[in-house]
Amino acid sequence: MRRSRILRAVPDLPIRLKLILAFLAVIGVGGVASLFIGTRIMHRTIITLAQDKVRHDLSAAWMVYNEKLHGIFDVIRISATRETLRDALAAGKPARLAGTLEGVRRQFGLDILTLTDARGKVVLRARRPENSGEDRSSDPLVGRALRKEDAAATAVLSRAELLEEGADLADRARIEIVSTPMADDRPEAREDRGLVLEAAAPVTDDRGAVLGVLYGAALLNRNFEIVDKVKDNVFKGERYKGRDIGTATIFQGDLRIATNVLDEAGARAVGTRVSREVGRAVLDEGRAWVDRAFVVTDWYISAYDPIRDAGGRIVGMLYVGILEKPYLDRRDAVMGTFTGLAILCALVLLLILALLTLGITRPLRAMVEATDKISRGELDHRLGIESRDEVGRLARSFDRMTEDLRKANAKLIEWARTLEGRVEERTRELREMQDHLVQSEKLAFLGKIAAGVAHEINNPLTSILINTHLMLEQEDRIAPFRENLTLMAEETARCALIVRRLLEFARQTPPRMERAGVNELIERASQLLEVQAGVRNIKIAMDLAPGLPAIELDRSQIQQVFWNLTINALEAMPDGGTLTLVSRPGAAPGTVEVEIADTGVGIPRENLTRLFDPFFTTKSSGTGLGLAVTHGIIERHGGTIEVKSEVGQGSAFTLKFPAAKEGDPDAGHASETNPGRG
Amino acid sequence: MPDTHPKRILVVDDEATVCQSIKLALAGEGYGIDTATSGEAALRRSDLSDYDLILADMMMPGLSGLDLLKGIQAKDPAAQVVIITGYPTDKAASQSLRMGAVDFLPKPFTPAELRAAVARALAIKAQAAGTKG
Repeated sequence: MRRSRILRAVPDLPIRLKLILAFLAVIGVGGVASLFIGTRIMHRTIITLAQDKVRHDLSAAWMVYNEKLHGIFDVIRISATRETLRDALAAGKPARLAGTLEGVRRQFGLDILTLTDARGKVVLRARRPENSGEDRSSDPLVGRALRKEDAAATAVLSRAELLEEGADLADRARIEIVSTPMADDRPEAREDRGLVLEAAAPVTDDRGAVLGVLYGAALLNRNFEIVDKVKDNVFKGERYKGRDIGTATIFQGDLRIATNVLDEAGARAVGTRVSREVGRAVLDEGRAWVDRAFVVTDWYISAYDPIRDAGGRIVGMLYVGILEKPYLDRRDAVMGTFTGLAILCALVLLLILALLTLGITRPLRAMVEATDKISRGELDHRLGIESRDEVGRLARSFDRMTEDLRKANAKLIEWARTLEGRVEERTRELREMQDHLVQSEKLAFLGKIAAGVAHEINNPLTSILINTHLMLEQEDRIAPFRENLTLMAEETARCALIVRRLLEFARQTPPRMERAGVNELIERASQLLEVQAGVRNIKIAMDLAPGLPAIELDRSQIQQVFWNLTINALEAMPDGGTLTLVSRPGAAPGTVEVEIADTGVGIPRENLTRLFDPFFTTKSSGTGLGLAVTHGIIERHGGTIEVKSEVGQGSAFTLKFPAAKEGDPDAGHASETNPGRG
Repeated sequence: MPDTHPKRILVVDDEATVCQSIKLALAGEGYGIDTATSGEAALRRSDLSDYDLILADMMMPGLSGLDLLKGIQAKDPAAQVVIITGYPTDKAASQSLRMGAVDFLPKPFTPAELRAAVARALAIKAQAAGTKG
């Protein structure tokens, strides 16, 4: 359960950790496997190398061994040719050679040096001159020498034979058998026989007849010359951790009789025996044996060869061994290095992997951060990852998505912004409409008052006007007051004009509609203006769009509108200027716009809103009703009038006429709906 | 038959000062001028049909000038009526003329305008009478 919980937790790990874990798993399995295999191969290689070396060392040991044997052989052969030896044998007085022989024996380090007669009977022993007469013809080497053959070989001498040669030799040969684990059981407790290197040579007279045999031998038991020479020459006496790296041993049978293998106490392990396995292979089967072997206290890479006597019987073994430990240590060192390198490689690979995964996870993390930023509204954020791999493609796709998002957002913002604008526009239109309504109501109310007031004022004006004029008619009587009366009459007339204009304005006559083109009316107005304009040094510019749709209008009223506006324009240009009359199609189909613009004094901003109010005037002489009447007429036509003005630049009035109603060309002839009182 | 007797004119206006002013303006013309300050008063006059010309204000409390015109025409189809008004509109003018008024005179007017209008109206009357006679 625990394991599966761990496995279930894996998907929650960061990608980077996952990759690294996967990599570690690969490295771990691969590393352990290759370490294991590597160790095995290394071990085998090193062991094989060691075995080759030990085999080679065994050959070297054989050389030392055989050199010793041949040394003895040479001594024997050369000594056998000595004149003194021949003469003494020929004379039958070998005793006089005793000193000579003993000198040779000592000189060449032989343990045995013995002279027999032609029948093989001992005539002189260098070591024991007194002990002679023994028949040695049964000795294989002596026998061969009697047949005039030189011979040298390893041989085993019994205790009796050794005793004949010298009691000290028998003692030296005697070895107490030390019980050795893994060795064959042996009933005897000691070895009495001795292993010798023996050589024999015939002593002949001038004619070649055998006078006797000289034979000599070196006892190998406890003789460490060969093994130490092997150690010194082959292994150079190298030591490893207090132990000789190489050892050599001469076995008699399975018993160590000369060795430099040391026992636990540090003494030469003479008397110990070879393992059963080796003994069987080498002694019983006569095979060379090379393998690791446990020698007394340590594992050695060992090589054993059988030692045969002159008859070819296996009498012992020659052994060399190399301490296994240095090789194992070397193997371990190599393996350690190898493992260290492997770990180092793994670490380097891990570092590379970490960097590589960083290349994957960093863009991913950047994307996560970018997502956060985008969610906070930073739509201009870009990853800008240029790599061509999947991550790069993902990043570019991500950037594209962000760009689309930004565009969509911008559109949304634009929409919201224009929505605000549209709302403002609509609000403005509503306000204007309301203003219009207010203006209309104001005008309607004013009209009613004006009708009443006009009627009431006209009566007193009638009396004043009549009586003033009547007085003026009395010319001779009013001479001093003529001027006053004239002024009164004129001002009364002006009052009458004001009242008339007020009434015109208040009349609210519905227009008598007919279809007409505005261009014709504009042209007529301009014709009427020509003289006045010329006097005032005013240029009239006309830009009339041809083919304008006919609109429904009351000719006389619209004529009055044009007249009012153009007269106003002329009066706004006391120093001359340009009056521009423009007609053009309106924004909506069928509608027409007329613009009357001057380059005059302009209208101050504060006056613009009151411009269409009745009685509003800036002129010293004027009723202040012209623009109010104009406004009323245009409104009754269903159109609008707008003014734009800049002080010192001029003013422009724009009239917008609605499209004529479809299929109702005579709509204007509606009957009057509000007949006023007479 | 030569028309020697002075022409008689009736001025009807609810404003006495207007009546008075008109009377003054026409004083030197040799007309016989009477005034009335309401349509009803005018119609009550037994000698209504004797007037050569009636100047009637259009807008008066009670009978309006046009009502008076109808009333006068009912008594004397040949009556000459000039409508005067302080509320001079095209509509009023055309209506008046349609109904048979001989002229339409908007207030205020000068004595000259008044005299001209009266003279014109009387001339039309005389012409009509002449045609008849």
